[in-house]
Amino acid sequence: MDIISTLKELSNSTYIGHHNDAIKIAEQMLGDFSKKELSAGNTAFYFKGKKDKTFLLEAHIDEIGFVVTEVFDSGFLRVSTAGGFDLRALPSHRIIIHGKEKVSAVFTSIPPHLSKDEAVFDDIDKLYLDTGLGDKAKSLISVGDFAIYDTQATELLGTRITGKSLDNRAGVTTLLAVAERISANCGYNVILLFCNGEEIGTRGAITSAFALDADEAICVDVSFGDFPGVGAAESGKLGAGPMIGCSPILDRNMFARLCELAENKGISYQREIMSGRTSTDADMVSVSKSGIPTALISIPLRNMHTDCELCDTADIASAAELIYEYIVSGGVCRD
Amino acid sequence: MTDMLRILCNTCGTSGREDAVRDTIVSLIDGFCDYKIDPLGNIIAFKKGKKTPKKRIMLDAHMDEVGFIATYINEQGLISFSSVGGINTECILSQRVIFENGTVGVIGSKPMHLLSADARKKLPETDSLYIDIGAASGEEAKKIISPGDTAVFYPKFLEQDSIIASKAIDDRAGCAILISLLREDSEYDFYATFTVQEEIGSRGAATAAFAVEPDYCLCLESTTASDIEGVSGARRVCELGQGPVISFMDRGTLYDRELFDLANGISMPHQVKSMVAGGNNSAAIHKSRGGVKTLAVSVPCRYLHSASCMSSLDDIKGAYDMAKAMLQKLGEAEND
Repeated sequence: MDIISTLKELSNSTYIGHHNDAIKIAEQMLGDFSKKELSAGNTAFYFKGKKDKTFLLEAHIDEIGFVVTEVFDSGFLRVSTAGGFDLRALPSHRIIIHGKEKVSAVFTSIPPHLSKDEAVFDDIDKLYLDTGLGDKAKSLISVGDFAIYDTQATELLGTRITGKSLDNRAGVTTLLAVAERISANCGYNVILLFCNGEEIGTRGAITSAFALDADEAICVDVSFGDFPGVGAAESGKLGAGPMIGCSPILDRNMFARLCELAENKGISYQREIMSGRTSTDADMVSVSKSGIPTALISIPLRNMHTDCELCDTADIASAAELIYEYIVSGGVCRD
Repeated sequence: MTDMLRILCNTCGTSGREDAVRDTIVSLIDGFCDYKIDPLGNIIAFKKGKKTPKKRIMLDAHMDEVGFIATYINEQGLISFSSVGGINTECILSQRVIFENGTVGVIGSKPMHLLSADARKKLPETDSLYIDIGAASGEEAKKIISPGDTAVFYPKFLEQDSIIASKAIDDRAGCAILISLLREDSEYDFYATFTVQEEIGSRGAATAAFAVEPDYCLCLESTTASDIEGVSGARRVCELGQGPVISFMDRGTLYDRELFDLANGISMPHQVKSMVAGGNNSAAIHKSRGGVKTLAVSVPCRYLHSASCMSSLDDIKGAYDMAKAMLQKLGEAEND
């Protein structure tokens, strides 16, 4: 599988509310796995091995977006956010609304001569979506319709790409790259879990992990990439390998084994040290039912939660290699 | 017209780097008029009509668009930049840009998750923003981009119903109207100038007007429309779908009353700008030599100077009709 083209395709696809063509892309690539639809838009894919032990690999597949709350006769819309947005980075950006048909819109920007004071970005209600359609907008768009960034992913220099929702299609791509390597001779059961609802409070992971039985779990998400003004301790360098999470809520033995494997196999990696919750689905998976030993692997990402997220696909390749090696090694729990 | 707008808006050329726009325009007017390129890069065209008016008429549209200029490349491979022309910082954040050599980049900033609650509400300083082309190091970036290279908003032309949204509608809309007038037969002779460097102070228009030495000039422009939800009355400035805009005054020009009245008297849908704001090439042209009677005919445009300017195709057609009618009236007036 070509990681760059897969990630681009997934980035361009949609997963908000019931608009979920991203999962179809994943499904097409998982012929050896059996699909199980869980509640609330969560989907699991099973690979049956010869041994009893089961590894759960999890990535959230949903993306941040908007929900329409008011449609004006003027063709403007008021929206509410579904997920965290930098309101300062919305004006003049393009959005697609999933109405009766797809409608394009632009976030308003107030011309400088109308605002005497410095603009304060504290409320999404100060911005509108402009469809340019006038009163025709009401016939196409209803309150409750979802909207997402209108951006096509593109390749930058080397192995880096930019696009929307690389958080967390980068994680989904990692899981698909692992799945491609999984074969009968790796011996273990593997469940790939693609969760909905992470961006509105890790809710998909809560119910999905409860519905499954696994001995160990590895969650894959994104974390902050190196950028001026972002401290080295709170970020990972792009292209320097996936970040292996170390936190009191994560399993220490799995962390140590992942680092050891990376060293032994010559896979580039970085450590990400956190002092408590990780703000990822790992927070929920780890305490599901009677508890699942959980590791977290993160792809460094710049410009998180914008339509110009940027990551290095070499880090995804390394993450997939590391996770595969971990499964083949049998993990840390007893068989 | 829409196809021509698409081609022109998707062409990239910030102030001082209008070469690609100029080449595109030349390819569209070649064979329909005489033209030359002046030392600054303006296209000065002459359209032979059926009659020669007593007074010389000039129509102007500017070729350049707002953009960015690379100023420094750091060891991480991130590119510091300055804006070329006035761009709101809120319209810069997280935008995709393209350099002259085709290199694509994005304007990155510190993620909001790591900002304090107060910092999230305020626009960042431009010097904390960087263009990221995906370089792994300063060395790699410097092989591809040098300080002084320019970039513009990444082209993404949208046509939806009767509106278009794109970068650079300011002033490729004016260019498209002027090209259309040159490509068809004209009743009267006129000069057409496609000028450089409007966005950094109407520098091209000054030399073009000096060379043409017109008696009358019409600037074909795009002007700020603030007819957005929640804004009322005069503060809307002008409105999409209400026709081309004429102004009595803006921040650069007190327009010629004779021309204003002439345009205002034409029985075509049009609107008068309801705020003294903005400016255009008229500022330089009306002061050229011994003075030029000047008027701007503008296309209303929301989110001017952004990656998603929005205009109505009906208004662009209306501005074309208005320019054509004015050309006729200016030719007639002096011949009678």
